[in-house]
Amino acid sequence: MTDTEAFVKTLPNDIGGLPAGPIQRVEHDLEPWEKRCHALADVLDFHKIINTEEKRRGVEALGSELIGKLTYYERWIVTFANILFQKQLLTPEELARKMDEVAARRSP
Amino acid sequence: MSAHDHDHDHDHAPIQAGDQPPGYYEIMETAVRELLVEKGMIKAGEIRRQIEVLDSRNPALGAKVVARAWVDPDFRARLLANGRAGCEELGISFYDDTQLIVLENTDKVHNLIVCTLCSCYPRPVLGLPPDRYKLKPYRARAVIEPRAVLAEFGTHIPEDVEIRVSDSTAMVRYLVLPKRPAGTETLSEEELAGLVTRDAMIGVVPVENVAAGGGAA
Amino acid sequence: MTNASRPTGIVKALGEAPIFAAGDRVKVSIRFPVGHYRVPQYVRGKSAIVEAVMEPASLDNEEEGFGRNAGSKRHYYRVAIPLTELWPGYAGSSRDSLRIEIFETWLERI
Repeated sequence: MTDTEAFVKTLPNDIGGLPAGPIQRVEHDLEPWEKRCHALADVLDFHKIINTEEKRRGVEALGSELIGKLTYYERWIVTFANILFQKQLLTPEELARKMDEVAARRSP
Repeated sequence: MSAHDHDHDHDHAPIQAGDQPPGYYEIMETAVRELLVEKGMIKAGEIRRQIEVLDSRNPALGAKVVARAWVDPDFRARLLANGRAGCEELGISFYDDTQLIVLENTDKVHNLIVCTLCSCYPRPVLGLPPDRYKLKPYRARAVIEPRAVLAEFGTHIPEDVEIRVSDSTAMVRYLVLPKRPAGTETLSEEELAGLVTRDAMIGVVPVENVAAGGGAA
Repeated sequence: MTNASRPTGIVKALGEAPIFAAGDRVKVSIRFPVGHYRVPQYVRGKSAIVEAVMEPASLDNEEEGFGRNAGSKRHYYRVAIPLTELWPGYAGSSRDSLRIEIFETWLERI
């Protein structure tokens, strides 16, 4: 079948030249966690634990649906988790347990 | 909430107040960070420090570079030869491996910068990009209809002036060196820097001589 | 400086010397890597002129995206492509142009 090839051949972020609507002039300040996430990206790249290009590739690998539904920094943190699992630096169980611990810690 | 990168409109969630419990992604960010620190892969202090680094980067730094280039032709030449070295001369360090090319606007060429594939932006010298730079409309249209994009910002470039669009895809970042507006001969370097906006250094608007009652900055 | 004072017999490592120079006419290759690329589809197959060689040689960013932080260093080239070459029926000025950095393995001499 060739009708699905285009989806594999074309990355979801490869949008130069596609039709698009007007440019929205809204701006948002980063939430504190988003700023921490950006700082985390820079630190991970500095150490080459996850370099910036790996982050880009990891975001692409989320696929169109998640890319469309998650916000900019939400995409980054999910990508970091995925890549850290792939590199065997974290396990899914470790992260799940830690997330439960963090959530319990901060609930009223 | 930061802006979403998708085609369809939907309402943004309301901004969370400080005493709201953290959302799913904030919990994930906290957990990932703490685990990496516990395992000795990064230090907590590195994150805190990088936040300070990021907070210290904003368009005023780029404006200083532009103003210096306007008043000092030798600096301008060095800046155009090596943008990163020029910024470093003014104490603007680059905390990553990117290089910088400074793109000079002239009577013949108007420069515009974009990253169609993601959001590459000269962060060390301008800070974080505006949301619209990261979203589809600008990224998709800047390379195919730059004049229409500029028109949305109120910018009209004559047809005999080349619009040169630079699409960042690798290690080089760009900064537009706008034309110095007329009637600014008596302004100090600091006053000149005060005229230079982030959008002028992206290339979507010119620098206006606001002191003379020109258009909005 | 006379030629006599320059050392002779220098052999460069593979990939150390740029293949292309400013002014060279090149074409962006057409191929479809699976999984990660940094050459947008809108420039593939297009003719371009090399404006500048980016120094120093750097990592292949397609490989870097999979965690290769060393090896396979070649040059990137800032190339110029008229927008009329990129887009049939381009409605702006015929002078308008694109600049983009392309890795050496994506360029062919024409």
